[in-house]
Formats: sequence, structure tokens, C-alpha cells
Amino acid sequence: MNISSPNTTAQTSKLVDENIGFVRRIWRGRIWYGTEWYITVIGGLILLGVTMMTILAPVLAPYDPNEFIGAPFTPPGRGQQALVSRTGENPVPSASEITDEVVGVQRNQNGVNLAKELNYEYERYQNQEELLTALENGEVDLIFINQELVPEVLGAYPNLGVVDEKLGRSYRLGTDNLGRDISSRIVWGARTILGVALASALLSSFVGIPLGLISGFAGGKVDRTLSLVMDSIYSFPGLLLAIALAAMLGPGLLNVAVAISVIYIPTFYRVVRGQVLSIKESLYVDAARSLGAKSSNILRRYIFPNVIPSVVVVFSLNIADAIITAAGLAFIGLGLPPDIPDWGYDLSKGHSFLVAGQWWMITFPGIMITLVAAGFSLFGEGLSEILNPRLVK
Amino acid sequence: MSPGLRRYIFVRILLTIPMVLILVTVVFFVLRVIPGDPAVAILREGASEEQLASFRAAAGLDQPLHIQYFRYISGVVRLDFGEAMKRSVPVMQEIRTFFPATVELAIYSMLITASVGIFFGAYAAHNRKSAADYGIRISSIILYSLPIFWLGLMLQMIFGAQLGWLPVSGRLSPGMTPGPEETITGLYTIDAILNRNWVLFKDAILHLILPSITLGLVLAGIFTRLTRANMLDVLEQDYITAGRARGIWERVLVYRHGLRNAFIPIVTLLGLQVALLLAGAILTETTFSWPGLGRLVVQRIYDRDFATLQGAIIFFALIVAGVSLIVDILYGFLDPRIRY
Amino acid sequence: MTNNQSSEPDILYKIRKLVVEYHTRGVVVTAVDHVDLDIQRGEVLGLVGESGCGKSTLGKALMRMIEPPGEIVGGELWFDGTELLSLPEREIREYRGSKISMIFQDPMTSLNPVQRVDEHIIETIKVHEPETKKSAALERAQALFERLGIQKRRLNDYPHQLSGGMRQRTMVSLGLALNADLIIADEATTSLDVIVEAKLVDQLEEIRKEFWVTILLITHNIALVAQIADRIAVMYAGKIVEIGYVNDVFLNPLHPYTQGLLQSVPNIKFDEREDLFKMPGEPPSLSDPPQGCRFHPRCPHVMPICTQVEPQLLENSPDQLVDCWLYQNLPEGYESTIEVEK
Repeated sequence: MNISSPNTTAQTSKLVDENIGFVRRIWRGRIWYGTEWYITVIGGLILLGVTMMTILAPVLAPYDPNEFIGAPFTPPGRGQQALVSRTGENPVPSASEITDEVVGVQRNQNGVNLAKELNYEYERYQNQEELLTALENGEVDLIFINQELVPEVLGAYPNLGVVDEKLGRSYRLGTDNLGRDISSRIVWGARTILGVALASALLSSFVGIPLGLISGFAGGKVDRTLSLVMDSIYSFPGLLLAIALAAMLGPGLLNVAVAISVIYIPTFYRVVRGQVLSIKESLYVDAARSLGAKSSNILRRYIFPNVIPSVVVVFSLNIADAIITAAGLAFIGLGLPPDIPDWGYDLSKGHSFLVAGQWWMITFPGIMITLVAAGFSLFGEGLSEILNPRLVK
Repeated sequence: MSPGLRRYIFVRILLTIPMVLILVTVVFFVLRVIPGDPAVAILREGASEEQLASFRAAAGLDQPLHIQYFRYISGVVRLDFGEAMKRSVPVMQEIRTFFPATVELAIYSMLITASVGIFFGAYAAHNRKSAADYGIRISSIILYSLPIFWLGLMLQMIFGAQLGWLPVSGRLSPGMTPGPEETITGLYTIDAILNRNWVLFKDAILHLILPSITLGLVLAGIFTRLTRANMLDVLEQDYITAGRARGIWERVLVYRHGLRNAFIPIVTLLGLQVALLLAGAILTETTFSWPGLGRLVVQRIYDRDFATLQGAIIFFALIVAGVSLIVDILYGFLDPRIRY
Repeated sequence: MTNNQSSEPDILYKIRKLVVEYHTRGVVVTAVDHVDLDIQRGEVLGLVGESGCGKSTLGKALMRMIEPPGEIVGGELWFDGTELLSLPEREIREYRGSKISMIFQDPMTSLNPVQRVDEHIIETIKVHEPETKKSAALERAQALFERLGIQKRRLNDYPHQLSGGMRQRTMVSLGLALNADLIIADEATTSLDVIVEAKLVDQLEEIRKEFWVTILLITHNIALVAQIADRIAVMYAGKIVEIGYVNDVFLNPLHPYTQGLLQSVPNIKFDEREDLFKMPGEPPSLSDPPQGCRFHPRCPHVMPICTQVEPQLLENSPDQLVDCWLYQNLPEGYESTIEVEK
């Protein structure tokens, strides 16, 4: 007598039910997969974040990334100005009341930009000392000084007082050597880097996957020749190949993408070919064929579903690699034209100014590159463990 | 040497030749046939017609393609890459001057990569699914995601500029370069030991620390992953369980039996690592102003020195192919299944 | 068959209420469920059951070789007077290989491919007897090989250079190298072809007599058990359902599962029209086993109580234990629907 206990059916169906939504299934995966799940999901969240940054760039970025909007080398968080005059004399009650008073500003400080922007009459001085002297002896009645310097200045010059403060913009991550806002460049740079990486990964897969399929399926001479060519390219230092290509193709987004894509074609080729081979040999395909299944059916039902997970993993890891390679190319100077905000380019520029202690120009783009590349890698690695788990016996 | 081994080595050598040929041909095409006129690519706009024509003639670009290819291949075989443009020195000589610096950097970086990678990879595999394992895995991914030059810059900033402990550029302090009598290998650390010149040794090592840590750590990220994967495969094998059933200590099982078996595929992986090493060297050398082949390549790009660029790239390719061949042969000696 | 029926049998390994669980993917699987077992000194005990019934897990547990995600969660293992589960890891390690040893199913993968055969044996000896000189250990290895019928020069070979039968005999010699008291053979003959298997079985019998070893033979091959075992223990879904002397059990199988097992063995004297006996149903899920007696969904003699309360492994006749309500006094309120001769 076959009595299957009611318990058994209910429990198995809970875990395998096809009808729960996709998001819910991901959440359930938490118990099923353990820590791998967290790794993949964190990677996925980073990806989502970067994608959001890409899409919402105009909204998220405070300023235009190419505009020389601030003073060069403004440290992070700085930029705002205070309006200072001699104590007791407040020529104007606040900054907005300035009409034709002349404001003293220090060269290469944000005061200049602010004054220009607000259309004030201004007088430029070489350094802070000259500026303050000018205020003291009446050459000008008002000056702009950096907000953070107020306590120091007032301490040294007790006869000066603040009229208005926290004027103008602050630059959350500082500005670069040309006065461009770094946080905006970071936000807009996401587009660039993702665009290049995605384009190159797509190109690599479009060439690599079909070649892998053909090679795996056809076998024989075709397979051997292709494998040899691919192995040769694969064993070659990738960056070198990209450099050679990029040098010859010249600057431009598409050229860079093409240059990088060549490196990864063999990876896609190998993975796909390997999968096709192992599936081709596997027993269930033999069984299907012995039952008379058509080749196209075999391709569709057996090979594709098994190849696709691996491809997704490789694609993700490929993008991570491409990001780093693109940054590398930019560092050497073979990247994109300077008017496109690019994290790699910012890094290369920052190199020269490191010694002067202006760390913020390279720190933030570097962190972003690492974060995004790591995000894609985590996602790919986690997914790979989940899809092809190493079974513990 | 057993016949099996002999055949294995022979086949490997045979396979290397077409690989090198393919690589060299790919480089040929990349540097010549890619869109546009190489003369224009190199001389850029502003060059007059005569300049372009004379350039083409000098570089042999006005010849039909197959003749160019033939000259190219015959040059490669003799390791004659022509003369550097604008410099009138044979390319090979320049390569020979700068190559030892890259080798030295590569060796020390490899030491770091191998020791970090093997140790942490084996440890992670041994303690699978522990906090340490996940920590090591995630750290490896982050390490590998770091742009090499960025890590280099950060280290330069912290240890060089701010703390002042280590030098940030070059191979030696000014005035320390050994003369030709003292230079045997071109690797300053080795030469210093051979000449018992300890001052030179210390200076060279100090300059090597930051660049090799930079390159070594980033590559260690990948290498740890690979070691871990191989070790996991090995530790799952039946003979490890059987060994445990005979009372062999865990540590001996993992670090002796396990590593001995995992070591063989790892050795082949080291061959692949050389390719990554050379690629990474380009960026590292640029960051640290290290006078090696990588920095040469970058500088010649700026100069649009097409001949040197080509020569250097082919040289790299030959090195990679050579190392792969050596590694494969080594594999044959290490794996008893092939040796007997 | 040992002549110990009159006096108290000398128990080498007393296993009480052993429980082994596996935790994977959010589910707990009880592979060994409160197993009681006595292994007598000097006997060959055959442990049979379907794939997945837990016999391999039981074998590993007896050497405390259960790895995560598996875990021994309860019970007592009294080996020669010492309770093994209470020992620290480094002490248990000393037992492995020297007091209890294991022979595995696949000899090719159970030998280290980069290690010579003699190194295998010498290492094993030195691990447990560090004072032994390498030359002495080598002599012992040579003696073992001679005893098992392998040429001495084979000791210098790597595993892949040996034939399948030689490899398995190497494994046996590793098991004997330190004169273990108990050898657990986990499907030791499954991967061998019939002729090689027969040779190995003969050798096992000789060894057993000569070295006075106790053997736990884990297999799904009942014929093998019939050939060399003294007693047989039948396992189903993590529980032992019947134990007894081979002759008794084969002639008079008590548990319905045992009956089904014996009926399923193809008989060479088949009538042409006789069909192969198939036991209905499938082995149960060990993560969510049936309530009551685990065999009840497939049992031809199932009674109402079987679906609700688990029976116990009790003696039905001297030296034959069975875990079935057919042979036990039913608790209050239940009626037996079938009468069985005792």
C-alpha cells in the first residue's frame, strides 16, 4: 500500500514552487545558499547602484563635470566663502546687497569664481597677506576668504569681522587641477566607464560565443585551428594587446571598447566551447539523440540552458576586467578624449599632483573604480558558486 | 627519461611554434593593417606628403604586404627589430638595456604573489565556508579590482610622501648605479650579492619594496583564487579521505599531500601569471618611474615610435611563449602520471 | 561461524543509539537514526541495504570520519572498552589506521597519485609508530605484499601503474599494516569485476583467519555477505531492521524488508516465466521520513499501528533481532491484524 504522508508533499513544494515571484525566490535563496547569496546580492546591489548613477547622472551630479566651476585644487568639503570687512563698518548688511562695492579676492581661490558669478566688481590679490592688508588699509571694504579660514583670520586680525558667510558652493569631493567638481565627474564618469566596459563585453561575447559554439559543435580541424588561435591570444599579456590596438586606432569611445574587447574574446570562446563539449558528450544528450531528437532541438533544449548561466558569469567578470583595463589605458594616455569625464583619466591626471599632497583627486576615482569592478566580480563569483556549486561530498 | 615524457616534451615544443607564429602575425596585422595609414597614425596631422612618403619608404610600408610580412618574420627570427625611430639605436639594444629592470621587478613581485597566494589559498580551501574563507575570497576580489597604478600611487603617498620611509621612484638612489665591471646580470640585487656590495643591495631592495608589493599584491588576488580552487578540488579527492582514515594528521594532509597534488596545476597557472605580470609591469613601472621594458613601451607610445613598440611587443610575446613552454616541460617532470 | 553461541560473545565494538545528521540547504537529513549494534570480536558482519540507507555513513561514523555538513549528534561508541565520542580529536586520530582501518570502494582514487606505493605504507606505519626505522617499515611493507600476492618490486610504482586488483590489495595491505582490530570495508568490491572480486574475497577470508581481524563488510551485494559473513545486519532508512546469523536470517527472514531483499536476488534456476521480484514503492526521504515504522508505505503486512508508532529492535529468538511490530507486543489499544508464528 502506498501512502505518501501529507507532510512530504507540502514541504517540498514550498521550496520548489514555480509560482512564487522572482523577487521572493531571491529572498528564499538566502537560506538555501547561505553566504554565497550575500556575496552575490551585495555585488548585485553595487551594480544596481552604479546603473542608477548612470541613468540619473544629470539629476545626481551637482554641477557640470566639464565646467571649470571652482578654484583648482579645492579640498573636499571646502569652497564656500565668507564676506569679511573691517569691524564696525558693514558696508552692506549681507552679500546679496552688494551692488557696486569692490570685493577683494585672492588669486586661484574660490572667491574669484564666486565674485565672477555674482557679477561683483572685484580686485585680485596675489596672496592672503596682500588681501588682508588691502582690507586693513582701506583699499577695499569687503573681501572674500575661504570659510574654513575665518577663525584663524579673525584671531590674527581682530579688527575684522564677518558680514556674511557660507556663500557660494562647496565641493563635496573637492575640485581637480582645472577647477572641475570631482563629485560631478564621479557621477558622470559612471556612464563612461560602464559604457566602455559594457560595449567591449558585448563585442567580445558577440564574437566569442558563436565561435565557441561552432568550434564545440563542429570539432575536427575547425576546432583545432580556432583553439590554437584563441589560446595564443589568451596567453598574451592582455593589456599589451589593448595598448597596441588603442595606439593604432586612436582615441574615441568605440575604439577603446574595440581595443579591450579583443582581449576577452578567447575567454568567451573557451567557456562556451567547454560547455558545448561536455554537454555533447554527456549521457542525456546521447539518450536524446538515440531517441531521435533533432540537432536543433538538442541545441535549444540541452545546450543553451546550460551554457547561459556560465555566459552570464563570464560576462559579469568580463565587465569587471574591462573596467580595470580601460582605466589602465587611460592612465597611459590612450583613453578617451579629455572632454569625456572618465575615472581613469582623472587618475592619470592626479598622478602628477600627488606630491603636493592633493590626495583627493585620485582617491575618489580610484575608490569608485575598485568598488564597481569589485561589485561586478563579486556578483559573477557568487553567481558562479551558486550555479555550479562545488559539491561537498 | 621515459618515452612518454620525451614525446610529451616534443609535442609541447612543436605546439609552441605555431603559437608564436600566430602571435607574431597578430601583432603584424594590428600594427599595420588596422584602419588607416600607419604613417598618418604615427606622424598625425600636420605632416606633409613628402614626410609621409619618406616615412613609408623608410619603414618599408610602400612594399606589397607579403613582402613586408616576409621581411618582418625574417627579422623576428633573428631578433632584429630594426632601429628605433628618432633615435637611431637598434631596437634590440634598447630592449636589452631595459629588460633586466623588468625581470628584477617581476621576480620579486612573483615571490610575493606566490607566497601570499599559496598560503592564503590553501588556508581558505582547508577551512572552507569559514569566516576566514569568505574573508580571503572577498579580499582577493577587492585586491584584484584595485587599479594597479592607484594602489601604487596610494602606497607612494603614504609610505613615500607622508611617512618618508621608502623611496618612490627609480631603481636606485642617484649615484648608486654600478659601473659596467660590476654589472653581471643587470639585476642589481643579484649583482650586489655577487659583488658583496651590501650598500648597493640595501638601496636596491628599498627601491624594490613598493613596486613589487604593488604588483605582487594585485596579482596575488587572482592567484589566491586559483590556488583555492585547485586545493578544493584536491581536498575533495578520495585519497585525502583515505589518508585521514589511516590516521594522518590534518595539517600534513592539507599542506603536504594536498599541496603536492595541487602544486602541479598551480605550476602551469604560474605560466599564465607571467603574462599578467608583464601586463601589470607596464603600469607599475610607469607609476614608479621604473626604467624597465614596460615604461619603455609607454614612452615610445608618446613618441609614436612604431618600430620600438612593435619590437617590444614581440619580445614580450616571445618571453610569454618561452615561459609557457618551460612551465609545460616542468609539468611533465613533476607529474608522475606523465613521467612514467 | 564462531563457536560462541554458548558463552557470552566477546563484543569488540558496542554502538548505542548512534545518530548522524546532515545539514544542507536549510534541510536536516537524519542518515543514521538511533542505531544499536554489537560487533563481535573476530566475526565478519555484513551490513546491507539499499543505496542511501545510511550504511556508508554508519561506517564512517564508526571511525568518527563524518565531515561537515554531517555531524554525529548523539549516541555512544564503545570500542574495546573506550568510548570514542568523548575522546579529543588528536586521540581519535591514533585509532584511525592502527586500531580501526577502512578499505574504500574505488582504489584508484583512494591512493595518492603523486606518491609511490611503498611511501603510502611507510608513512602509515611511521605516523603511528614514529620510532620505527624506515628500513624496518619497508620490510613490513614487503612482507605484506608478499602475503597478498603482489610482487615486491611493485612497491616502487605509482598507483596508476598498478592494475585494479593490485590497487585494491594495496588498500587491504594499508588496512593491515598496523594489525588493526577492526577493518571496515566500505563497498570494497563494488568497483571490481567479478573475477577480481572473487580473488579479493578469498584473500579477505584468509587474512581474517590468519590475523584474527574483525571485518565489517558494508555492501549492497547480498551474495557476498552470504559467502563470507557470519552475521548480517539489514539497514533501512537509517535504522537497523534485522540482525542475525547469516544462516538464520537467510533461511528465515523476519522483517518484511529482508524478505523482499532476499526475494529480489535473481536466482539462476529461474523458470522462464518467472518475473523478477520488485519491491513496491521507493526509499523514503530521510529529511522527512514516514511516521511510525519507516517501511510501512511499502510493507505488504502493514497494520494500523505501523503508521503511527515506531517499533524497536528486539530479540525475537536468541541472536536474531528484528525491528517490526509483527514480532512485538503491541501497546495498549492496538490490535494485531496478522498472526505470526513465534
